[in-house]
Amino acid sequence: CQKELLTPASETAVATLDLAQFSTVLRVQGQVLGLYAGLRAGDFYGGRYPVYNELRADNYIAQSSNSVTAYQTYMYTLGNGAQEVTGFWGSAYNTINRCNLFIEGMAAKGTGVVGDAVGKNYVAEAKLVRAICYYSLLQLYARPFYDGQGSKPGLPLRLTGNSVAGNYDLARSTVAQVYTQVLKDLNEAETDLPLTYTTAVNNTIRAHRNTAIAFKTRVYLSMQRYTDVITEANKIVSTAGPFTATTGVAHALQADITNVFKTPYTTTESILSMPFVNGTENAGGQSAIGSYFFGTKLYSLNPDGIIGDATFKAADKRRSFITLSGGLPYMSKFPTLPAANFADYVPVIRYAEVLLSLGEALARSTNSVDAKALALLNAVRTRSDATTVFTAASFATPSAFFDAFVKERNIEFLGEGLRTPDILRLGLTFPARGGVAAVPPTSSQYIWPISGTELLYNKLMTDNTN
Amino acid sequence: QTRVVSGKVTDKTTGAPIPGVSVIISGTRTSTQTDRTGAFTLAVPADGAKNLRLSFVGYVTKIVPITGNSLSIILEEDAAVLDEIVVNGYSTQKKADVIGSVSSVTAKQLENKPVQSFDQALGGKAAGVQVTLPNGVLNNPPVIRIRGTNSISLSSSPLFVVDGVATYSGDASGSSAAGNALASINPNDIERVEILKDAAASAIYGSRAANGVIVITTKRGKPGKAVVTYDAWVGTTKARNLPELLDAYQYVELKNEGLRNAGLFNQATRSFNLQNDAAGNVINTNWYDYIYRTAYSHSNTIGVSGGTESTNYYLSAGYTKQEGIIQHNDYTRKSMLAKVDHKEGKIFAFGGKLQYSNEQNLAATSSGSLSGEAFGTGGLGRLAIVTAPNVAPKNADGTYNIFNATTIGRGANVGSDVGFYNPAAVLDLDRSNNELNHIQGSVYLQANITDWLYAKSVYGVDYIFSDNDSFFNPINGGSAASGGSASASFSKNKRWVWTNTAQATKTFGEHNFSLLVGNEQTRSTVNGFNASRTTLSDPAFNSFAAGYATPTAGGTVGENYLVSFFGSLNYNYAKRYYLTANVRQDQYSAFGADNKKGTFYGVGLKWEIANEKFWTKAGLDKTFSSFSLRGTYGTVGNTAGLGNLASYSFYGTGLYNGSPTLVPTQTGNDQIGWEESKKLDLGINFGILNDRITVEAAYYKNTLDGLIYSVPQIPSAGLPSEPSLNIASMYNKGYELTISGDAFRGKDFSWSPSFNISYNKNEITSLSEGITQFLTTTSSLESASISQVGGPLGMIYVVRTAGVDAASGRRIFIEKSTGKKVLYQQVAPAGQFRYTYEDGTEAKNGISLANDASPYKNTQPKFSGGFDNTFRYKQFDLGLTFTYQLGFSIYYGTNSGLRDQRFWNNSTDMLRRWTTPGQETDIPKIVNGDNVSNGSSFPIDVNVFKGDFLKLRSASLGYTLPVSFVSKAKIANARIYVSGNNLLIFTKYPGSDPEVSSNGNSNSAAGVERNSVGNGRAFTAGISVKF
Repeated sequence: CQKELLTPASETAVATLDLAQFSTVLRVQGQVLGLYAGLRAGDFYGGRYPVYNELRADNYIAQSSNSVTAYQTYMYTLGNGAQEVTGFWGSAYNTINRCNLFIEGMAAKGTGVVGDAVGKNYVAEAKLVRAICYYSLLQLYARPFYDGQGSKPGLPLRLTGNSVAGNYDLARSTVAQVYTQVLKDLNEAETDLPLTYTTAVNNTIRAHRNTAIAFKTRVYLSMQRYTDVITEANKIVSTAGPFTATTGVAHALQADITNVFKTPYTTTESILSMPFVNGTENAGGQSAIGSYFFGTKLYSLNPDGIIGDATFKAADKRRSFITLSGGLPYMSKFPTLPAANFADYVPVIRYAEVLLSLGEALARSTNSVDAKALALLNAVRTRSDATTVFTAASFATPSAFFDAFVKERNIEFLGEGLRTPDILRLGLTFPARGGVAAVPPTSSQYIWPISGTELLYNKLMTDNTN
Repeated sequence: QTRVVSGKVTDKTTGAPIPGVSVIISGTRTSTQTDRTGAFTLAVPADGAKNLRLSFVGYVTKIVPITGNSLSIILEEDAAVLDEIVVNGYSTQKKADVIGSVSSVTAKQLENKPVQSFDQALGGKAAGVQVTLPNGVLNNPPVIRIRGTNSISLSSSPLFVVDGVATYSGDASGSSAAGNALASINPNDIERVEILKDAAASAIYGSRAANGVIVITTKRGKPGKAVVTYDAWVGTTKARNLPELLDAYQYVELKNEGLRNAGLFNQATRSFNLQNDAAGNVINTNWYDYIYRTAYSHSNTIGVSGGTESTNYYLSAGYTKQEGIIQHNDYTRKSMLAKVDHKEGKIFAFGGKLQYSNEQNLAATSSGSLSGEAFGTGGLGRLAIVTAPNVAPKNADGTYNIFNATTIGRGANVGSDVGFYNPAAVLDLDRSNNELNHIQGSVYLQANITDWLYAKSVYGVDYIFSDNDSFFNPINGGSAASGGSASASFSKNKRWVWTNTAQATKTFGEHNFSLLVGNEQTRSTVNGFNASRTTLSDPAFNSFAAGYATPTAGGTVGENYLVSFFGSLNYNYAKRYYLTANVRQDQYSAFGADNKKGTFYGVGLKWEIANEKFWTKAGLDKTFSSFSLRGTYGTVGNTAGLGNLASYSFYGTGLYNGSPTLVPTQTGNDQIGWEESKKLDLGINFGILNDRITVEAAYYKNTLDGLIYSVPQIPSAGLPSEPSLNIASMYNKGYELTISGDAFRGKDFSWSPSFNISYNKNEITSLSEGITQFLTTTSSLESASISQVGGPLGMIYVVRTAGVDAASGRRIFIEKSTGKKVLYQQVAPAGQFRYTYEDGTEAKNGISLANDASPYKNTQPKFSGGFDNTFRYKQFDLGLTFTYQLGFSIYYGTNSGLRDQRFWNNSTDMLRRWTTPGQETDIPKIVNGDNVSNGSSFPIDVNVFKGDFLKLRSASLGYTLPVSFVSKAKIANARIYVSGNNLLIFTKYPGSDPEVSSNGNSNSAAGVERNSVGNGRAFTAGISVKF
């Protein structure tokens, strides 16, 4: 008998015996890119996550009632078993586990293979991806930070890799504890990430030092920690306009916003985006962001939403992202059609957001119509609408100034999935639209329920209650 | 003083001389053998020698008085000899010595049937063996269950061993045409089939025996002058009992009524209308005429067998061409089998066989009947009943009637599709073909070291090359939207088996011993590639090799290795007390690192009471010619269907912006091992009236532990897949009874009936901690099957209903949580609701599968069996085989489609729809778009029916031509016959055939029919000639 035949090796996949997935430089690199591939999954940034954050808010009207394409999210009728609820939960945790396994495997073997310096870079990328995962989960499954200063139930915080069947019962950490971990990951990532890559595309689709910093501005803004937003943003925003990043990748607003959403999708404004390649890396037909808003026209724009706002002027370049079809307005920021497999890059974070976050933080922390804040607001507005220049006189109160930032974000990031987090962080009410009632922060519908399968199998898990 | 006696020995049937017959003077050691001409001479003592004893393998031993110096002796072939031997894997035994539970099926029961493979003809032939032909697609592997369904996630199909080599089974086709791997064997080449059911019989197959073992022995040469046999039949098959559909007039009337009831009817923009063809006749298409056909088939086998005492040969060639009841579903097999056995001197014997078959499994497109196809848009079973009858397949100009790439033309209908694909277009233009080249060969060398000890080495191969060729046209159908596509795939399945055994058989006084030890290696590999090409350059072409815009390609690779050591001891004392003990140790590559090795065993005891003196003393031998009690117990395993690399955790490759990625893809379980089946079997066998009637009764219990179940993990643990763990438990227990014999034996007339019945109970005893049930879907869409701890696998899972509200014509559902009646209306006028309670208040939660379905009926037959009868009257013979399955239900999901109120055509049941307040009927008011009331949206109890059936599975009437007549043409024997298959079905099941499975071999989703093509009814006429 031939003993060796009893332990066959796969010819198509890498078995994890002796951490073989860390045995070569190529495999380690493949795993790093695999972390981003997890982030890019259809249920996550590959489309559905930003879609959910759009549809929960006030800018859309459903043109279909297919529950496969987020109708229940739109209607706030989700149960624990809804595909959205279980699908995104699973997808994000799957990516978190990839990161955990990777971080552990690098310590055990991978760093020895790729060398300390590169190993640090890679681990930092894993931490950044993990931070995005936890932050994103918080936006849908947990009460916003302001509500009890993070004391409300957060998420099961998993920081070790799981690879075999086991008892993985784990209770929820608090919202604050999860945010603390997110910030810890981002801080460590900032230290160890490379300043830049050699190509524009890698500067867009992989994390570098400014990515960690930029993402921290988003996290601190969600926590209403405005001075921290300022501290972080100032690392990558020059003191005076035109605002640019002076270290690392030279982020700057593009003169024409439409260039950000076109081939090659790799301008310095895109801090992190998820790439798709027609033919070989297609976006899923029912998960692609473009299929919801334009390709299959499942949701039209709500005429009473931000597109109905009088200050969002006709001349505004950002109105070119609105296309009429069959008499209804559709959001055409992601215009690639199904024939080309919706191969638009999906932005995770753009430089415009850092500028607006900094501006809003300056305004709120000083409770004034801060001059630099005003300059930042204008930088974003006038880029697309030269006819509108805000002045201090434009805002009667600091509060009106704050609202201007929220509105600007609503215009600027329409379709990019920032609207729901913006409503949540400030405790605003989801406005009523198209027969769907308003959802105030006190409503149980304000956030999603917990995944039904998680509740079924994780005996320490608890559902969201109001 | 001696004298010389000479003689000649000939065969009774053929008259041919028989060489090698042993001729011995009774009571002496003086003997000789017949020569090539069947002649012998022998010196006989002048006095004292009265008789000669003539014996030869396969013939009845004859004692003849020495009358004169020249004898003419006729020996008769011993049909009974075949019945008295049982092939149980690595050796043969006399039937009387067998302790384990073994059923035998002989050649006569399998040959010349209108089937593609022998296993399709096994139904009803043996107790405890349930054979279901799941649909009418040609060459579809039957679902075979031996003593119940014995697995949850792995296969519950038995292991098949052909001439000592464990062979591939299941569907080897990669196309929409089924390709049963076992069909490579021409059923006419089979000598006998043994079915090993309990542990004592099957433990010698160790980790693969939990589902039972079916041992096939093909024919081999018999000594003597060459005997040529020729068998041929021709036949026709037709679909039977198709649901009666609305014609064009009824369709238009009812569909418009549905539109009106929904408030949607508008003659100009939304209506169904009759249309005339070019000749001015109303188009009234019966799509059955385009999809089904009267199929013609024929089969021919020629064989030659012969040899001497030292060298025997068997050679056969077969050609069969069969048509299925669906258009373009064809099957062709060319098969050859050559076998040689040779004895060299007193010690060595060697020989071998080579079997080759080329099979064409052809189909135009999906039948919608194979596992996973039920909801396919292009499934022909479904297209036949869905497509509107008031549109034509073709336009007046001869072009296909199409609306767009994926839907048939609407004709005069306005505002709605009236079908999916145009059946005529896909039948004419598409293909999904498979070709199998199957080679099964083996060689052996045997050394008969002493008269009680031999050693044998067998090396066998089993190669299946599966070649698939598909094309989807660019006009209408599955790939028309992307300009047509062609795909090709090729897969090489290769297996070799090397078996070395030694067997000692010795008798010490009354102690009879037989000991077998052996070693075996089995190595299987699969290699394949596939490619598909989309967007045809020129629509005139349909070859894969033509020009296309977009290619994609992939491949498969796999391997496994099984190495085993085994031993088998059989002992009996004075043919009264029998003991058998079998043990096998298997090491299998798919198991986890620490679990590679498993040891299996089976033991059995038998007491043949009829051989006891007290039995004779008590005079019981006058009634009971044999009477034995037996009991066996053992542990065997199941690995069938386990992934070759299931023990590993894997990282797989992908792409991120064109660069390779590596991500976790499989959660392995390095502890994974075999599923364990502990089998207990207790039985009584007896024969009365000199074994003219034999009765076998058995009780069995299979206790299944360590069944593999994919245990759901906590989602937040982030594992890439659900790991397979040996964690679930289940049992099957039941009774079997077989009664057979010669009920009447007269000079001109005889009747030999054989009846068997078995009862089985299946129950899941545990799944995994905290998990008490799971649903199984039909084709990933409909969850009509549920399996629960404490119940059997695969119960029907439906929402309960309570008829139709006579006042409003609405379907009444039962809300599970409250037991309240909930009335449904598809279109709720302003101020009303779709779901309301009887008092008119809204039922806020509506009705859904998740909230309101409950386990309803069992799908596994409680009783199954067969009733075989052979009548003879002079030269005529009549065979009637009945099979039956009782005590189970079927979810007739097709019925929900037949009553669906979208554009789909309906069954004529809808003619009794509710129309008037106060009307009592079972069919709700028809409202356009309603896919809820009749069960399309979620399964309902209305579509569940008792599946109990009794089938006249086959009947044949034969006439054996008188020898005096045929001998003039040098024919030894000739029989002509007519036969029918699937002739009569006694059942209350309203579908085409209660013998159905839309989920093929699934363990946990049996008893579901969804858009399947039922089994047809076949008539054949044939001839068997022996020269």
